[in-house]
Amino acid sequence: MTLFAASLLAPDLGLIVWISITFGILLILLRKFAWGPITSALAQREATISESMEQAEKALAEAKQLQADNTKARREAEAQAQAILREAREEAERLRSEEVDKTRAQIQHLQESAQAEIEREKQSALDSLRTEVADLAVQAAEKILRENLDADRQKKIVNDFLSDLPKN
Amino acid sequence: MIKRASTFLLLFVIATSAMPLAAFAAEDGELDALHHSANAYYLDFEPFGKLQLPRIFVVQHEDGSYGVEVFRSTAAAILEGGWVVETASHAEEGEGDAHADEAHTDETHTTEAGPYGGITLEQLEGYLAPASGGHVVLDLSISKHLVFAWLGMLVVVLIMTRMAGLYGQGQGRDTAPKGVFQNLFETLIIFVRDDIARPNLGKKADKYTPYLLTAFFFILTCNLLGLVPFGATATSNLMVTTVLATFTFVLTQLGGTKDYWMHILWPPGIPAFVKPILMPVEILGIFTKPIALAIRLFANLTAGHLVILSLIGLIFSFAKIFGPGVGYAVAPVSIAFALFIYFLELLVSFIQAYVFTMLSALFIGMAVEEHHHDHDEAHGDHHAEPAPVQVA
Repeated sequence: MTLFAASLLAPDLGLIVWISITFGILLILLRKFAWGPITSALAQREATISESMEQAEKALAEAKQLQADNTKARREAEAQAQAILREAREEAERLRSEEVDKTRAQIQHLQESAQAEIEREKQSALDSLRTEVADLAVQAAEKILRENLDADRQKKIVNDFLSDLPKN
Repeated sequence: MIKRASTFLLLFVIATSAMPLAAFAAEDGELDALHHSANAYYLDFEPFGKLQLPRIFVVQHEDGSYGVEVFRSTAAAILEGGWVVETASHAEEGEGDAHADEAHTDETHTTEAGPYGGITLEQLEGYLAPASGGHVVLDLSISKHLVFAWLGMLVVVLIMTRMAGLYGQGQGRDTAPKGVFQNLFETLIIFVRDDIARPNLGKKADKYTPYLLTAFFFILTCNLLGLVPFGATATSNLMVTTVLATFTFVLTQLGGTKDYWMHILWPPGIPAFVKPILMPVEILGIFTKPIALAIRLFANLTAGHLVILSLIGLIFSFAKIFGPGVGYAVAPVSIAFALFIYFLELLVSFIQAYVFTMLSALFIGMAVEEHHHDHDEAHGDHHAEPAPVQVA
């Protein structure tokens, strides 16, 4: 068995020299033509992604704000409509009660004036009745006097007269 | 459809990965797992042969002048260049006298024509020395692990430039990433960036992410290339992992802040008399971290292969000891276990790429961290180094 030039642990300066040089070249080559472009591209992509996400988040926030604004505006409008409706209802209620009161007063007034009229009519009827009765009495007396009759006749005459009188 | 195809592909890969081993073993009836895992100056395509790789030597001649000698293969160096296989007594990395006698016998073989382009296996794997005298200063020969490291680099470059091209077209930059290819690698890239670099390095993550990405994908690709038929694991070579760890080491020291050095040279928050004791420990710690990095990666990747090879080797050991019948009987068991380890190695490939990158990020992160001195030194141990992470 000979001395192996390349045993497992044999020092090999030539290999060290070769690997040092070529690994150095590999390092420089890859750094310039591979890692540079690749890592910068990755960094750029990451920046783009985070930027887009930021923008999306901002847009989402804006949309939420807009929605909130819209909701607020709608609520306000609804509240306003409610208020208007309530006001109108109150106004209508007020008007109606006013009208009722007015009508009631009018009716009262009419009733009162009718009563007064009736009273007046009644008074005038009584007055005219009184005059009529007086007249009739006078006429009856006149007749009695003119006929000059006995008592029975007189009585009969008065009774007849009285029965001739209208019932009311 | 794709699932079935990939299942077949996987089975094919597993079936063929044992082929070179079987052929290798068939040659001398036994399997040297250690030898197979080691580096070599040829690509092993057995049973189709070995592809010898170019040899490049920086030589210092007898007269003291330097020169470079290049051969297209080891065979060419020996047969045309007249290089000789060094014997143990000449070898700089002599393994002791025990081998010396064996080594001397090689010289008798050199005259014989071997099966590997005219040379023997011993010649193919021995230390070479120039015939004209002088000695090799630096052996820059292209080896198996170097080829697979380069292959790994090539794969990473091809994949990642294609990725960069896709992003350049706007796909994945302005639009969503599309397809398995882009999504798969993007997931890994983002994993390294977000789960390795950023938690450990904080604000300085961008500066070190290119290195961490390169290390991660290079190690991962090399690990996986070792699981391919006829493949070799560059990361199971201690030299390769040492270089990777050295890169982390250098980046750590270069990035070290004033606080980092203060913590090493004059640790705060402890009695003054303890400081001189702790200082050498801290200085030692600078070096143990990258050494642990290198050995961890090397050992993990080598161990998996050794276990697979040993399990396969059991077949041949049994066949040799008890006869071929027993060998055949053991084969299904061995292969089932080897298959299990193979899947485990697949897992380990990812885990070790992650662990190396993770610890690199941690070590660099500890060095470049800016401390806030809003507390006095009495309770300064709040920003003492975190407990060393124990990772297998």
